[in-house]
Amino acid sequence: MFSIATIAISISIIIVSQKELPTEDLKLAREALTFAKEAEANIYSEKIYKESVGLYDSAMANWSRENDRFILVRDYSLVISFAKRSKKKAEEAREESIKKSVNLNNDVKAAFVNLAKKIELYNKLFKDLPLSKSVFDAHNKSKMFLSESKIAHENGKLKEAEILFKKAEIYVNHANVAAAKMLRDYFNDHSKWKNLANDAIAASRGGNKVILVDKFARKLYVYQSGKVLRSYDAEFGPNWMAHKERAGDKATPEGNYRITKKKERGNTIYHKALLLDYPNSEDKIRFAAKKRQGLISRSAGIGNLIEIHGHGGQGFNWTSGCVGLRDKDIDDLYRLVSSGTRVTIVGSVEPLSVITKGLDF
Amino acid sequence: MKSKLIIAIAAMGIAVLFSSCAKVPQTEIDAATAAVQEVKDAGADLYVPEAYAALVDSMKSANEKVEVAKAKWFPNYSKSKELLAVVSQMAIDTKAKSEARKVELKAEVEAMIVEVKALVEENKALVAKAPRGKEGKAALEAINSDIAVAETTVTEVEALLANGDLIGSNDKIKAVKEKATSIKAELEEAIAKKGGK
Repeated sequence: MFSIATIAISISIIIVSQKELPTEDLKLAREALTFAKEAEANIYSEKIYKESVGLYDSAMANWSRENDRFILVRDYSLVISFAKRSKKKAEEAREESIKKSVNLNNDVKAAFVNLAKKIELYNKLFKDLPLSKSVFDAHNKSKMFLSESKIAHENGKLKEAEILFKKAEIYVNHANVAAAKMLRDYFNDHSKWKNLANDAIAASRGGNKVILVDKFARKLYVYQSGKVLRSYDAEFGPNWMAHKERAGDKATPEGNYRITKKKERGNTIYHKALLLDYPNSEDKIRFAAKKRQGLISRSAGIGNLIEIHGHGGQGFNWTSGCVGLRDKDIDDLYRLVSSGTRVTIVGSVEPLSVITKGLDF
Repeated sequence: MKSKLIIAIAAMGIAVLFSSCAKVPQTEIDAATAAVQEVKDAGADLYVPEAYAALVDSMKSANEKVEVAKAKWFPNYSKSKELLAVVSQMAIDTKAKSEARKVELKAEVEAMIVEVKALVEENKALVAKAPRGKEGKAALEAINSDIAVAETTVTEVEALLANGDLIGSNDKIKAVKEKATSIKAELEEAIAKKGGK
């Protein structure tokens, strides 16, 4: 009778001691972690995701420890607590990750638009400036990083896309800042150019033909009676932004000149040419002063043979400082003007504000 | 009275004995854990992320199963062992998939390097034929610089590949290929226009 009672009590103890296991809570935590990982929470919500993984690992370690204890004294409450917290954190990480990746996606798209604008600004405004190789290379590198960033974005690698567009941004900013500085420095002389241009146009009002060359616009205008009679595309030397100071500097001079000689075919290698009176007296004074100041080497010459000539239309600044026109244009101009015609060369007729209008300069 | 006490202690003893008679399959757990780690070390999380995530989940599930069995008065680990064996096999398969993907990716990158190098050479030859008229030379200067950047990037890709960064080199070479292809199209268009005049 006693033995039966003892066995019954033992079975009761076994049944009673079968405490609720944390199986379901751990399963839910694990699933939540899987969903969080699928949402790339390990990337976009790294901290919370790591906390969640840590809590899951703690739950498992605790469960194992409790299972090593005598069955009647096991307590799974801490395991369940860890598992529940892990699940909650994993859900939080997933939510944060989704939100952050959406935001990052928008940021990356906005950055692409912004970068494209900066590249467009370079192409519209800076491309033809005589920029240094480092500026040129920086611009091209920015385009390459932008391409890489776009590929990473297409592959859903937003973080990588972000890193790459930031690199692109560094390069494009380097190129644009340097180019913008060059342009601003160039336009410091605009008021002087404006006066020269106004003076030239005024000089045409009596019916005389006056040539006005705008280096920035790459144009040569023929004015008569204050109006544009002709306009042609023009090309200059590779160092066209500078004012000519000495022989071989590949710069085009700025100021008032006159045609001193008309060269027919056979007298020039450039189809036809109009020789200018560079250096004029102002050029000579400036050259002498700079030489005295040591800004120009003692052996340097002032240069000569600045002409308006043919063989233009090459699409780049290729002359040694002369003004290059297409052959058909020099033919036309040659007929139009005579020796003694005034030629005014300026950096730009328009101010920088007009040139950069509508651009995010 | 004394005999009754002995029976009670014996009953408890039997219970305790049963609860610890089946051993935790530690060898299987260790083997599966090591296999999963080996797969991770092989870069499976990068090259076959979905398969790797499934493997990790299965390993966790197997560990949970071990604890479920362990929590019982009379543990039976046969199902856990089966699951651990499945995990070990999954690890072998995942590693194989990862290795295959790496070989495939490496071949893809190497093929693209050859392709891009050829494109760069083609582009250089096209530059020589391209028109130098209005806008021509300036555009060609920009294109030459673009070609130079593409060439430098190919060298970078080769370095990445040599360091085993297959994913990085793959992404980079794709970008260069895109760039070189667009340069080629630009040049061909310019040459075609010139020919049409």
